[in-house]
Amino acid sequence: MKLNIEGLLVYFPYDYIYPEQYSYMLELKRTLDAKGHGVLEMPSGTGKTISLLSLIIAYQRAFPLEVTKLIYCSRTVPEIEKVIEELRKLMEFYSKETGESNNFLALALSSRKNLCIHPEILHANIVVYSYHYLLDPKIADLVSKELAKKSVVVFDEAHNIDNVCIDSMSVNITRRTLDRCQNNVDTLQNTIHKIKETDAAKLREEYRRLVEGLKEANVARETDIYLANPVLPDEILQEAVPGTIRTAEHFVGFLRRFLEYLKSRLRVQHVVQESAPQFLKDIFDKVCIDRKPLRFCAERLQSLLRTLEIADIADFSAVTLISNFATLVSTYSQGFTIIIEPFEDRTPTIANPVLHFSCMDPSIAIKPVFQRFQSVIITSGTLSPLDIYPRILDFRPVTMASFTMTLARTCLCPLIVGRGNDQVALSSKFETREDFAVIRNYGNLLLEMSAIVPDGIVAFFTSYVYMENIVASWYEQGILENIQRNKLIFIETQDAAETSMALEKYQEACENGRGAILLSVARGKVSEGIDFVHHFGRAVIMFGVPYVYTQSRILKARLEYLRDQFQIRENDFLTFDAMRHAAQCVGRAIRGKTDYGLMIFADKRYARADKRGKLPRWIQEHINDGSLNLTVDEAVQLAKHFLRQMAQPFRQEDQLGLSLLTLEQLQSEEMLQKITQIAHQT
Amino acid sequence: MDEEPERAKRWEGGYERTWEVLKEDESGSLKATVEEILFQSKRKRCVYVCVCVLIMRHLYVVIDCSRSMEDQDLKPNRLTSTLKLMEAFVDEYFDQNPISQVCLHRNPKKHIAALKKAVDTVCVGEPSLYNSLNQALQSLKHMPGHTSREILIILSSLTTCDPANIYELIKTLKSLKVRVSVIGLSAEVRVCTVLTRETGGLYHVILDESHFKELLMMHVKPPPASSSSECSLIRMGFPQHTVAALTDQDAKPSFSMSHLDSSSGPGLSLGGYFCPQCHAKYTELPVECKVCGLTLVSAPHLARSFHHLFPLQAFVESPLEELQGDRYCQACQGELKDKSIFTCTSCHSVFCVECDVFIHDTLHCCPCCIHSQVTPL
Repeated sequence: MKLNIEGLLVYFPYDYIYPEQYSYMLELKRTLDAKGHGVLEMPSGTGKTISLLSLIIAYQRAFPLEVTKLIYCSRTVPEIEKVIEELRKLMEFYSKETGESNNFLALALSSRKNLCIHPEILHANIVVYSYHYLLDPKIADLVSKELAKKSVVVFDEAHNIDNVCIDSMSVNITRRTLDRCQNNVDTLQNTIHKIKETDAAKLREEYRRLVEGLKEANVARETDIYLANPVLPDEILQEAVPGTIRTAEHFVGFLRRFLEYLKSRLRVQHVVQESAPQFLKDIFDKVCIDRKPLRFCAERLQSLLRTLEIADIADFSAVTLISNFATLVSTYSQGFTIIIEPFEDRTPTIANPVLHFSCMDPSIAIKPVFQRFQSVIITSGTLSPLDIYPRILDFRPVTMASFTMTLARTCLCPLIVGRGNDQVALSSKFETREDFAVIRNYGNLLLEMSAIVPDGIVAFFTSYVYMENIVASWYEQGILENIQRNKLIFIETQDAAETSMALEKYQEACENGRGAILLSVARGKVSEGIDFVHHFGRAVIMFGVPYVYTQSRILKARLEYLRDQFQIRENDFLTFDAMRHAAQCVGRAIRGKTDYGLMIFADKRYARADKRGKLPRWIQEHINDGSLNLTVDEAVQLAKHFLRQMAQPFRQEDQLGLSLLTLEQLQSEEMLQKITQIAHQT
Repeated sequence: MDEEPERAKRWEGGYERTWEVLKEDESGSLKATVEEILFQSKRKRCVYVCVCVLIMRHLYVVIDCSRSMEDQDLKPNRLTSTLKLMEAFVDEYFDQNPISQVCLHRNPKKHIAALKKAVDTVCVGEPSLYNSLNQALQSLKHMPGHTSREILIILSSLTTCDPANIYELIKTLKSLKVRVSVIGLSAEVRVCTVLTRETGGLYHVILDESHFKELLMMHVKPPPASSSSECSLIRMGFPQHTVAALTDQDAKPSFSMSHLDSSSGPGLSLGGYFCPQCHAKYTELPVECKVCGLTLVSAPHLARSFHHLFPLQAFVESPLEELQGDRYCQACQGELKDKSIFTCTSCHSVFCVECDVFIHDTLHCCPCCIHSQVTPL
């Protein structure tokens, strides 16, 4: 159908449209008009992707000078493929409607097997790829630096974007890394020797270039050709490479010294935590390495690798990593911390020293993106509370909106189970974690649910350790045996192959009527990215609140940083983080309007306003006061009723006019009135 | 529409939130309720179309007797409640389809007796959809092609323990044109959805006991025939009922053939139906003659099955305001109060919605049309 969105003609490749899609496009258009950034939350399964694509492409066609390119970032390869599929549909619709062959070029960077290196791709109108191509400085430099300024960047499924940013800027160095780096340096040395004998002029030429400084890079940045690389801050470009590392041999010697220093640091017996300036002072005292040459390390290495004409850069990943670390540690005095741990917490007897150079400020990695591109859209099914993202990513959005799901029948049923039948409070909090009564009641909940929920149930625990304890205890109490009469039990483990096997068998059991339960872990592989549509997930049970492991030193440092820099209290951030993972977990069950599922929060803490208020609006609005602190029995009664209601025949006609609209229905005055209420501005 | 019968004593009811039902109106159209959707489908069933149906049916009813039948959400428990409704179903079924069979028997009394006995069954273990379907299939596949092959499963459990891949069996069922319908007592199970969709049956899940009854009665009506089903002529006997006068000294009491294998019931009787082919005596019709295999029916039986072939035309619905003259329903003589009225297409009599449903579901003929045919005499 053809839509008119505030004067913009939008081609929409389906005959029906959800009201929230229309509302979403409205907000999106306003964001593009204002040339600003936006944060938009809309439930999964309501057609976010196609709304985004239709509107932005229509915008691109209408104002070719305002918006030249769409950069669509998603998380995983299957998601990227889904985007491409929708895009293909849209393009077919365009060529059918307008009659002209389309002159749009779209490019997807998914995996190496689909890679094309034709120069034309630089002019593609739409680029679809993974986050890392834009955020990770190592890859962004190769792929994204030539993207035009007038692009619209979309981060889909962006609820974890801060963690992606942090990961992309953090460096972990182990003994193995250093050994490999040592090999790299040796290879470099040999190559330099060889070249010196055959082609000394080349090295001299490089030297001359370095004296002149990195002017080229500077010119490029000023003329606005490249996306800024956060590893290579502006100041470096103004200066020439310091004399100490200008010649190739000197640089290699410099790297050796740096390497030896790192090795000595890894020989610690106790945990060391220090800031970047402390680290720099220490390195100066011990091996007389100044801050300045360290800052040029990454650029100098790139130059050397180019000069030596080394084809396979992947072999030199270790030395690249170390030189990136050197540049980062000497550039940013804030936002990073260095933690050296001689062993892992779980295995205190095995020496396995790791140097964590950990980024605590996600805004460092994403800053160039916000600065460079005129519109950046952050969107996902679960982004609540919306206002925290602009704060931790340090940007100012022009639109922030949360959309609800219009439903012809209430197809989701969130229940908060706070008590067992014996009135024991259910909670996964630390003090009651070992409590026998809580574990038994949790078991009872799962047992009762396994008897009334058809096909598949997915249960999430807060951690692997907690899951192991509980399952062992259930086994001893004979609860597992009782559950197995109703359903088969599958368990997610840390082994990826084992888990995918379990998942496959789980789906088979759901398919042939035996019924199955999948026990998995929040933040695990299953909780992110695997959908349990229809019968694969009729109920999700969340045992406890999935707080992150708070004893980790990296986390503690980050919390401290957030408090000092962004005035976000530790507790607020931890709750926010726990609730977004809980929302992700329970959101696995509802993947569309014809789907239905129970969402059971089994912890009394969910009933509190500070937890509940952080759930996405489309879940929150279905939690009524009556379902806040239920016992297991009450939950079972409600669930039974819900499942019977949902099993009644449901056809497309029932949705029409309410949650599914034709063009005429959309244009009615009354409906437009209603649509304005869908978006909830913050 | 009509008042729901009091299902159980209030204190026997489960944990219910009666106050929440009241909220549905004010929350507006965003939260359209399931009840409304159900009402729509009820209205839809009032549309009567003339379809070709199979009037000779072979129906297997499978009742789940697994552990979950002990559940007390139907009173007193699922099993007892199911069996009680099944008795009504069997009665109704034979009333509407006299020449059909349930589990290869024609005699409703036998079924009811068996159902009564089953009340005391202790429900244990898990059910197997595969085994029950397979067993039913073994007998159904020998049925002639002009009859329908149907299986109705009352499934309470949400799990099934199968010895083999059920999807293979579904393929077999489909190829043998067996129509499988399922009534679920607890929730929607995926495999049943697939099973019924593939075999062309119906799948419903009950809301409560009255809904359960409604769903069961839906299976009384014969299913539409597929175009590929065979047609054939069947020999039938129409025996006359002969009554011997008690005063007649020559009359000798004799045994009915149908009582040969059952010990209960009256043994000797005077009159009865005699097979026109071999003169075997039966006290009840319809029956298949034990001696010569002839199907014995009476004309009214055939007529009752017949109405499925020629259903009464749907009445025309129109708003009450358009009606001229007296506002009385021609059937119940009550005042017409509802928004819409129903008019018979042939005699133009006006009926209320309750009478419309009653005429189509039970009478199968318009009382006014018949009345006008009778008057000239």
